[in-house]
Amino acid sequence: MTLTKEAVHKESPDLKEGVLLECRDISISFGGIRAVSDLTFDVRENEVYGIIGPNGAGKTTVFNIITQFYKADSGAVLFREANGNVIDLVSLKTPQVVRKGLVRSFQNIELIRDLSLADNLLVGAHIHFETSVFSQMLRLPAARREERVLREKAMQVLSFLGLTDRADQLAAGQPYGVLKKIELGRALLSDPRLIILDEPAAGLNDTETEDLTGLVHAIKKDYNCSILLIEHDMRFVMDICQRICAMSFGKKLAVGTPEEIRAHPAVQEAYLGEE
Amino acid sequence: MKLTKTKTFPYWKYIIVCLLFLVMLPLNAAGIVSGSTLLILGTVIFYAVVGVGMNILLGYSGLITLGGAGFMGLAAYLSGFCSTRLGLPFILCLVISIAVPTVIGLGIGVVSLRLEGFYLAIATLGIGEILRQVFVEFEPFTNGFSGMRAAYPKLFGIVLTREVTYAFYAIILLIVMILVHNIVNSATGRALLAMKGSESAAQAMGISLLKYKLIAFAISTVLTALGGVMYMHLIKYSYPTVWGLGMSLNFLSISVIGGMQTVLGAVLGALFVIAVPELVIKQLPVIGTLTGVAYVFNGLFIVLVLLFYSDGLIRIGSDVKKLVGKIRGKKNDIDQRSGT
Repeated sequence: MTLTKEAVHKESPDLKEGVLLECRDISISFGGIRAVSDLTFDVRENEVYGIIGPNGAGKTTVFNIITQFYKADSGAVLFREANGNVIDLVSLKTPQVVRKGLVRSFQNIELIRDLSLADNLLVGAHIHFETSVFSQMLRLPAARREERVLREKAMQVLSFLGLTDRADQLAAGQPYGVLKKIELGRALLSDPRLIILDEPAAGLNDTETEDLTGLVHAIKKDYNCSILLIEHDMRFVMDICQRICAMSFGKKLAVGTPEEIRAHPAVQEAYLGEE
Repeated sequence: MKLTKTKTFPYWKYIIVCLLFLVMLPLNAAGIVSGSTLLILGTVIFYAVVGVGMNILLGYSGLITLGGAGFMGLAAYLSGFCSTRLGLPFILCLVISIAVPTVIGLGIGVVSLRLEGFYLAIATLGIGEILRQVFVEFEPFTNGFSGMRAAYPKLFGIVLTREVTYAFYAIILLIVMILVHNIVNSATGRALLAMKGSESAAQAMGISLLKYKLIAFAISTVLTALGGVMYMHLIKYSYPTVWGLGMSLNFLSISVIGGMQTVLGAVLGALFVIAVPELVIKQLPVIGTLTGVAYVFNGLFIVLVLLFYSDGLIRIGSDVKKLVGKIRGKKNDIDQRSGT
């Protein structure tokens, strides 16, 4: 059989029009336990997509599989880059993922206590620093310019978060709400196409959660990206997500709009218990 | 948009320290400072260079080595060999003596991906011990227990004097501090701290752990080796047992006592660990005359410093500032109340 151009194209992974990320039949086991089973879902461009499920359902594991902190035992994680190219993230090493336009935040805040808030944001811009260690050591003009430009970008994000006055304060000792915001802000510095947030509302009170809702809306608008999040705060999730995937015991229960999910009997049973 | 970092010249503190070292030279010429004191201060200078390297490794990257003395000794022997036996010019000796240990240091960087904490410490301790034994056994090269001799550095065909060597070393320290200051305040410095603070976050932000562990070990080994070359050409004699665990632990003390997440802390640490026993404690009336007691007291001081200044002696600077601020504040209160 001759290899026509069409045939060759069919060999490389393919995503439907408008889809940014697709997890296709991903599975992973730890020891004897099947943590995630043949999970398939997709996130579209400019969409806020939520994953819900009881504790232990495998939500963070899915995030780790997507961001290559774990390697799935089987399945593909297809992602459409800015240039239109579709790649399987499974072929990448962990630090390479963010360069493709996919960045994550952590459930337990993973900020650097010894750095200021501005510097913590600048860590998020790491992939944009192209000058060598030697250039930085000698403070050559290119290195100085790069530092200045990216520091301005960090200040813009700080202003967006309403935290400009804390720019030079160390992350150590900051109130929890501030740390949550910086954790979120750091993701913005890499110019992401998809931001993955692991329980962004955890530990926030009602006012702070409202703030966060406004922030997520603003991010979707100003930064032109999609957001994939795990959350337990149902009001927040229903408020902010266009579509939701409900998980239980590593499997997909249902996918749909917030209304569809709320009304779904299997979801109600798994999450809320039988009435 | 107002930038957070103001454009002041950040190197004044390093220049002042360098000048304080240099001012000892005219004092020495005038007879106020003895030649042996000058030698001790010169030793402080190259221990500070090594200390800066330790700070990068321990304070900024969260990595440990207990084999530093082995690398310093390797550089010392290489430089002694190249200058005395091969007659190579100083700069070439310097390059060779830094390059060889750094290649080995990079190897340790690769190993450090798999080993952490105590395991890395023990592994590096082992390598340091291997090197020390090499110095003892490899007699055609090192001259074994007879020791190896060298001369002051020979630049542009002229052999320097002790005083000029000392000044040269003070300038080297200044350059090292400025370059390392630049590194730690750049994206590289932030990446190292990110790697230390959270390997997960670092990777999520695109920081390759392998790359930055290699950078950390490379910088640290280069500075340790530089210190070794400086040792050889000031002390002019190298003996195998010097390069043992005791010296490696001194490096650790210098780093921790001075302030391991700073650049200047290395100078303070070196002054404390090297100069204080010799220049201060041994001069004291009763304590100073008994052999070994100086080091007992120094050990005691080290414990006290760690109890009260666990961030390093460098914090004294900010504590003094706070005290001055408090006194000024109280004075203002009193003035206001008494209506002056």
